[in-house]
Amino acid sequence: MKDKLYKALVDATHNVLKLMLNVTEISDRPAVDFSCDDEVDIAIGIVGDFQGEVIYRFPVATSLNMVNIMSGMQFEEVDVFVTSAVSEIANIISGNVLTALSVDDVKCDILPPVQCKPDEDKEYDIKTSCYLNTAIGDICLTIRLNRA
Amino acid sequence: MLWKDQYELGVPSIDEQHKELFRRVESFLQALRSAGSWEEKAPRLNETLEFMKGYVVEHFRDEEEYQLSINYPGYEHHKQLHIGMVDYVLEVSEQYERSGNNEDLMQQFGGRLLAWLINHVAAEDQRIADYARKKG
Repeated sequence: MKDKLYKALVDATHNVLKLMLNVTEISDRPAVDFSCDDEVDIAIGIVGDFQGEVIYRFPVATSLNMVNIMSGMQFEEVDVFVTSAVSEIANIISGNVLTALSVDDVKCDILPPVQCKPDEDKEYDIKTSCYLNTAIGDICLTIRLNRA
Repeated sequence: MLWKDQYELGVPSIDEQHKELFRRVESFLQALRSAGSWEEKAPRLNETLEFMKGYVVEHFRDEEEYQLSINYPGYEHHKQLHIGMVDYVLEVSEQYERSGNNEDLMQQFGGRLLAWLINHVAAEDQRIADYARKKG
Protein backbone atom coordinates (compact mmCIF):
# COMPACT_ATOMS: atom_id res chain seq x y z
CA MET A 1 0.00 0.00 0.00
CA LYS A 2 2.84 2.37 0.85
CA ASP A 3 4.37 1.92 -2.62
CA LYS A 4 1.00 2.48 -4.29
CA LEU A 5 0.48 5.67 -2.30
CA TYR A 6 3.93 6.93 -3.20
CA LYS A 7 3.39 6.22 -6.90
CA ALA A 8 -0.10 7.78 -6.89
CA LEU A 9 1.24 10.92 -5.21
CA VAL A 10 4.23 11.33 -7.54
CA ASP A 11 2.21 10.55 -10.69
CA ALA A 12 -0.59 12.97 -9.74
CA THR A 13 1.92 15.75 -9.01
CA HIS A 14 3.77 15.17 -12.29
CA ASN A 15 0.50 15.23 -14.19
CA VAL A 16 -0.84 18.40 -12.58
CA LEU A 17 2.47 20.28 -12.96
CA LYS A 18 2.59 19.28 -16.63
CA LEU A 19 -1.01 20.12 -17.52
CA MET A 20 -1.40 23.29 -15.47
CA LEU A 21 2.10 24.75 -15.54
CA ASN A 22 3.84 23.10 -18.50
CA VAL A 23 6.50 21.80 -16.10
CA THR A 24 7.97 18.51 -17.31
CA GLU A 25 11.48 18.51 -15.86
CA ILE A 26 10.92 16.80 -12.53
CA SER A 27 13.26 14.54 -10.59
CA ASP A 28 12.65 12.53 -7.41
CA ARG A 29 15.04 12.92 -4.49
CA PRO A 30 15.08 11.40 -1.00
CA ALA A 31 12.55 13.26 1.16
CA VAL A 32 15.08 13.58 4.01
CA ASP A 33 17.15 15.88 1.77
CA PHE A 34 14.35 18.46 1.57
CA SER A 35 15.17 21.59 3.52
CA CYS A 36 13.36 24.91 3.54
CA ASP A 37 12.85 27.67 6.10
CA ASP A 38 10.30 29.77 4.29
CA GLU A 39 7.43 27.77 2.86
CA VAL A 40 3.69 27.54 2.32
CA ASP A 41 2.41 24.38 4.01
CA ILE A 42 -1.00 23.05 3.04
CA ALA A 43 -2.82 20.06 4.54
CA ILE A 44 -5.60 18.20 2.75
CA GLY A 45 -7.55 15.95 5.12
CA ILE A 46 -8.61 12.49 3.99
CA VAL A 47 -11.65 10.62 5.30
CA GLY A 48 -13.22 7.29 4.35
CA ASP A 49 -11.52 3.89 4.21
CA PHE A 50 -8.44 5.72 5.45
CA GLN A 51 -8.17 8.78 7.71
CA GLY A 52 -5.26 11.15 7.57
CA GLU A 53 -3.86 13.87 5.39
CA VAL A 54 -1.59 14.89 2.58
CA ILE A 55 0.87 17.62 3.52
CA TYR A 56 2.27 19.85 0.78
CA ARG A 57 5.39 21.89 1.51
CA PHE A 58 5.89 24.52 -1.17
CA PRO A 59 8.89 26.83 -0.68
CA VAL A 60 7.95 30.49 -1.17
CA ALA A 61 9.88 30.68 -4.48
CA THR A 62 8.04 27.61 -5.81
CA SER A 63 4.68 29.03 -4.73
CA LEU A 64 5.33 32.35 -6.45
CA ASN A 65 6.59 30.64 -9.61
CA MET A 66 3.44 28.52 -9.81
CA VAL A 67 1.14 31.52 -9.48
CA ASN A 68 3.23 33.65 -11.87
CA ILE A 69 3.00 30.95 -14.55
CA MET A 70 -0.74 30.43 -14.12
CA SER A 71 -1.66 34.11 -14.05
CA GLY A 72 0.93 35.56 -16.42
CA MET A 73 1.36 38.24 -13.74
CA GLN A 74 4.25 38.98 -11.40
CA PHE A 75 3.69 38.10 -7.74
CA GLU A 76 6.48 39.17 -5.38
CA GLU A 77 5.22 37.86 -2.06
CA VAL A 78 2.94 35.25 -0.60
CA ASP A 79 -0.46 36.70 0.26
CA VAL A 80 -4.06 35.48 0.51
CA PHE A 81 -4.33 35.15 -3.28
CA VAL A 82 -1.12 33.10 -3.65
CA THR A 83 -1.98 30.85 -0.69
CA SER A 84 -5.43 30.23 -2.12
CA ALA A 85 -4.11 29.38 -5.61
CA VAL A 86 -1.46 27.04 -4.19
CA SER A 87 -4.06 25.43 -1.89
CA GLU A 88 -6.25 24.72 -4.92
CA ILE A 89 -3.34 23.03 -6.68
CA ALA A 90 -2.85 20.85 -3.58
CA ASN A 91 -6.58 20.12 -3.64
CA ILE A 92 -6.41 19.09 -7.31
CA ILE A 93 -3.39 16.81 -6.79
CA SER A 94 -5.05 15.16 -3.78
CA GLY A 95 -8.26 14.57 -5.73
CA ASN A 96 -6.25 12.90 -8.48
CA VAL A 97 -4.45 10.70 -5.92
CA LEU A 98 -7.77 9.45 -4.56
CA THR A 99 -9.08 8.86 -8.09
CA ALA A 100 -6.01 6.70 -8.78
CA LEU A 101 -6.53 4.77 -5.53
CA SER A 102 -10.22 4.20 -6.27
CA VAL A 103 -9.12 1.77 -9.03
CA ASP A 104 -8.04 -0.52 -6.14
CA ASP A 105 -11.43 -0.02 -4.48
CA VAL A 106 -10.08 2.41 -1.87
CA LYS A 107 -12.92 4.83 -1.13
CA CYS A 108 -11.93 8.15 0.42
CA ASP A 109 -12.89 11.82 0.21
CA ILE A 110 -10.82 14.93 0.68
CA LEU A 111 -11.49 17.87 2.98
CA PRO A 112 -10.92 21.53 2.06
CA PRO A 113 -7.28 22.67 2.17
CA VAL A 114 -5.96 24.33 5.33
CA GLN A 115 -2.66 26.03 6.07
CA CYS A 116 -0.63 24.04 8.58
CA LYS A 117 2.74 23.51 10.15
CA PRO A 118 4.37 20.13 9.41
CA ASP A 119 3.88 18.00 12.50
CA GLU A 120 6.12 14.96 12.73
CA ASP A 121 5.01 13.72 16.17
CA LYS A 122 1.86 11.81 15.29
CA GLU A 123 1.97 8.09 14.54
CA TYR A 124 0.37 6.71 11.38
CA ASP A 125 -0.16 3.18 9.99
CA ILE A 126 1.11 4.28 6.59
CA LYS A 127 3.35 7.21 5.88
CA THR A 128 5.42 8.08 2.83
CA SER A 129 7.06 11.26 1.55
CA CYS A 130 8.53 12.44 -1.70
CA TYR A 131 10.74 15.36 -2.59
CA LEU A 132 10.42 16.62 -6.15
CA ASN A 133 12.94 18.93 -7.73
CA THR A 134 11.38 20.79 -10.65
CA ALA A 135 12.21 23.60 -13.07
CA ILE A 136 10.06 25.95 -10.92
CA GLY A 137 11.50 24.88 -7.56
CA ASP A 138 11.27 22.15 -4.97
CA ILE A 139 8.16 20.50 -3.56
CA CYS A 140 7.90 18.08 -0.63
CA LEU A 141 4.80 15.94 -0.19
CA THR A 142 3.85 13.61 2.63
CA ILE A 143 0.84 11.32 2.78
CA ARG A 144 0.06 9.78 6.18
CA LEU A 145 -2.94 7.61 6.87
CA ASN A 146 -4.57 5.37 9.44
CA ARG A 147 -6.96 2.60 8.47
CA ALA A 148 -10.50 3.65 9.47
CA MET B 1 -2.29 36.13 -21.52
CA LEU B 2 -4.18 33.65 -19.44
CA TRP B 3 -5.54 31.73 -22.44
CA LYS B 4 -3.25 29.24 -24.19
CA ASP B 5 -3.96 27.57 -27.54
CA GLN B 6 -3.26 24.17 -25.99
CA TYR B 7 -6.57 24.55 -24.09
CA GLU B 8 -8.59 24.33 -27.33
CA LEU B 9 -10.94 21.36 -27.49
CA GLY B 10 -11.66 21.56 -31.22
CA VAL B 11 -15.33 22.37 -30.61
CA PRO B 12 -15.66 25.96 -31.89
CA SER B 13 -18.67 27.00 -29.81
CA ILE B 14 -17.15 25.70 -26.55
CA ASP B 15 -13.69 27.08 -27.38
CA GLU B 16 -15.16 30.54 -27.96
CA GLN B 17 -16.94 30.41 -24.60
CA HIS B 18 -13.71 29.29 -22.90
CA LYS B 19 -11.82 32.19 -24.48
CA GLU B 20 -14.46 34.64 -23.28
CA LEU B 21 -14.36 33.11 -19.80
CA PHE B 22 -10.55 33.44 -19.70
CA ARG B 23 -10.75 37.05 -20.96
CA ARG B 24 -13.19 37.90 -18.17
CA VAL B 25 -11.17 36.12 -15.50
CA GLU B 26 -8.00 37.85 -16.72
CA SER B 27 -9.71 41.23 -16.54
CA PHE B 28 -10.99 40.32 -13.07
CA LEU B 29 -7.47 39.36 -11.90
CA GLN B 30 -5.94 42.53 -13.33
CA ALA B 31 -8.50 44.62 -11.46
CA LEU B 32 -8.04 42.53 -8.31
CA ARG B 33 -4.25 42.92 -8.35
CA SER B 34 -4.04 46.51 -9.59
CA ALA B 35 -2.74 49.37 -7.47
CA GLY B 36 -5.30 51.63 -5.85
CA SER B 37 -7.70 51.52 -2.98
CA TRP B 38 -10.17 48.69 -2.56
CA GLU B 39 -13.02 51.20 -2.74
CA GLU B 40 -11.86 52.22 -6.23
CA LYS B 41 -11.50 48.65 -7.46
CA ALA B 42 -14.67 47.20 -5.95
CA PRO B 43 -17.16 48.40 -8.63
CA ARG B 44 -15.22 46.73 -11.49
CA LEU B 45 -14.81 43.55 -9.47
CA ASN B 46 -18.47 43.49 -8.56
CA GLU B 47 -19.37 43.87 -12.21
CA THR B 48 -17.15 40.92 -13.23
CA LEU B 49 -18.48 38.80 -10.40
CA GLU B 50 -22.05 39.47 -11.56
CA PHE B 51 -21.08 38.53 -15.13
CA MET B 52 -19.40 35.33 -13.93
CA LYS B 53 -22.49 34.25 -12.01
CA GLY B 54 -24.53 34.33 -15.22
CA TYR B 55 -21.94 33.35 -17.82
CA VAL B 56 -20.49 30.41 -15.92
CA VAL B 57 -23.93 28.84 -15.56
CA GLU B 58 -24.67 29.42 -19.26
CA HIS B 59 -21.32 28.00 -20.38
CA PHE B 60 -21.55 24.95 -18.12
CA ARG B 61 -25.05 24.23 -19.45
CA ASP B 62 -23.84 24.41 -23.08
CA GLU B 63 -20.83 22.23 -22.32
CA GLU B 64 -23.02 19.63 -20.61
CA GLU B 65 -25.40 19.61 -23.61
CA TYR B 66 -22.41 18.95 -25.87
CA GLN B 67 -21.31 16.07 -23.62
CA LEU B 68 -24.77 14.53 -23.81
CA SER B 69 -24.79 14.92 -27.60
CA ILE B 70 -21.67 12.76 -27.90
CA ASN B 71 -22.69 10.36 -25.08
CA TYR B 72 -19.66 11.34 -23.03
CA PRO B 73 -19.31 8.66 -20.30
CA GLY B 74 -17.89 11.13 -17.75
CA TYR B 75 -20.94 13.40 -17.99
CA GLU B 76 -22.24 12.88 -14.43
CA HIS B 77 -18.82 13.40 -12.83
CA HIS B 78 -18.18 16.48 -14.94
CA LYS B 79 -21.59 17.90 -14.07
CA GLN B 80 -20.79 17.52 -10.38
CA LEU B 81 -17.58 19.55 -10.88
CA HIS B 82 -19.65 22.30 -12.51
CA ILE B 83 -22.22 22.26 -9.70
CA GLY B 84 -19.43 22.50 -7.12
CA MET B 85 -17.96 25.58 -8.81
CA VAL B 86 -21.32 27.32 -9.29
CA ASP B 87 -22.13 26.73 -5.60
CA TYR B 88 -18.73 28.14 -4.63
CA VAL B 89 -19.19 31.28 -6.78
CA LEU B 90 -22.64 31.90 -5.29
CA GLU B 91 -21.43 31.24 -1.73
CA VAL B 92 -18.47 33.63 -2.06
CA SER B 93 -20.67 36.23 -3.69
CA GLU B 94 -23.09 36.11 -0.75
CA GLN B 95 -20.29 36.18 1.84
CA TYR B 96 -18.67 39.10 0.03
CA GLU B 97 -21.90 41.07 0.06
CA ARG B 98 -22.60 40.25 3.72
CA SER B 99 -19.05 41.23 4.72
CA GLY B 100 -19.36 44.67 3.14
CA ASN B 101 -16.91 43.92 0.29
CA ASN B 102 -14.12 42.26 2.30
CA GLU B 103 -10.90 42.30 0.23
CA ASP B 104 -9.39 39.08 1.61
CA LEU B 105 -12.47 37.13 0.59
CA MET B 106 -12.12 38.34 -2.99
CA GLN B 107 -8.34 37.71 -3.11
CA GLN B 108 -8.96 34.19 -1.85
CA PHE B 109 -11.66 33.68 -4.47
CA GLY B 110 -9.35 34.99 -7.23
CA GLY B 111 -6.55 32.55 -6.36
CA ARG B 112 -8.83 29.55 -6.24
CA LEU B 113 -10.72 30.55 -9.38
CA LEU B 114 -7.45 30.89 -11.33
CA ALA B 115 -6.16 27.43 -10.42
CA TRP B 116 -9.58 25.78 -10.73
CA LEU B 117 -10.27 27.21 -14.18
CA ILE B 118 -6.87 26.26 -15.61
CA ASN B 119 -7.11 22.71 -14.27
CA HIS B 120 -10.71 22.35 -15.41
CA VAL B 121 -10.03 23.43 -18.99
CA ALA B 122 -6.50 21.95 -19.31
CA ALA B 123 -7.34 18.58 -17.74
CA GLU B 124 -11.05 17.85 -17.20
CA ASP B 125 -12.35 19.39 -20.44
CA GLN B 126 -9.55 17.84 -22.48
CA ARG B 127 -10.93 14.42 -21.54
CA ILE B 128 -14.12 15.34 -23.41
CA ALA B 129 -12.06 16.32 -26.46
CA ASP B 130 -10.04 13.08 -26.25
CA TYR B 131 -13.24 11.05 -26.12
CA ALA B 132 -14.78 12.95 -29.06
CA ARG B 133 -11.61 12.43 -31.15
CA LYS B 134 -11.50 8.69 -30.40
CA LYS B 135 -15.18 8.36 -31.17
CA GLY B 136 -14.56 10.06 -34.52
